[in-house]
Amino acid sequence: MSKDFPISTEEDGFVTRREFTKFLGLTSLAFFAGTLIATGRKLWKRVMAGKAEEVHVAALDEIGVSEYKLFRYPTENDPCILLRLDVEKFVAFNQRCTHLSCPVLFNAAARQLECPCHKGFFSADDGRVIAGPPKRSLEALTVSLRDGRVWVKHESES
Amino acid sequence: MSPKVRLRQRMRVVLHMVMALVLMILLAQLWLFTVTLDVMETRGASAEIAIAALCCSFIGCAVVWSLIRLCLRNCS
Repeated sequence: MSKDFPISTEEDGFVTRREFTKFLGLTSLAFFAGTLIATGRKLWKRVMAGKAEEVHVAALDEIGVSEYKLFRYPTENDPCILLRLDVEKFVAFNQRCTHLSCPVLFNAAARQLECPCHKGFFSADDGRVIAGPPKRSLEALTVSLRDGRVWVKHESES
Repeated sequence: MSPKVRLRQRMRVVLHMVMALVLMILLAQLWLFTVTLDVMETRGASAEIAIAALCCSFIGCAVVWSLIRLCLRNCS
């Protein structure tokens, strides 16, 4: 008499040693591939940061003290924020929160950048994390004042 | 206990030790992967750390495959 399902449940669930070791080997390869991709991306970022050109984003008198300006740098997909903290002090950061990439907003009274999504708080002075779920500081841009304009450039990658 | 059974038991112990070693290497590779991700996302972190982690991960991968090919297949 022929069975409808010739393989029993016990046999179906059985994993041979060969299959298991193959799984371990492939897992190891997957970890290596992931590390390779992450390293490649880091090196790519370093190369691109070296190539990024300095751009002017505002005139000196365009932004008052405790005001900000949004701009995009180096591509249209990279929102950034320029803050004027003092008469001579300008700082600029990538606007993406380092937690889950929500755009951070400037709170001039508290001198902080705040992420409205999950309540992450960053110092407006240097972008370091003050409170909330983010673990890493905001990506800072190098700001320079020249010819009555504010110029920004990527900080060089290590 | 016959010598054949004794040998079989010893091989089983070796097999378990090798398997434990492979799992430890896999855990180390996972840790190296997280370190590299952190380096990738942190602008100030040195790329040399990522390269060192990549080399270690490659060595780990080579050791895992060597153990599988040389030891586990011969122990069966």
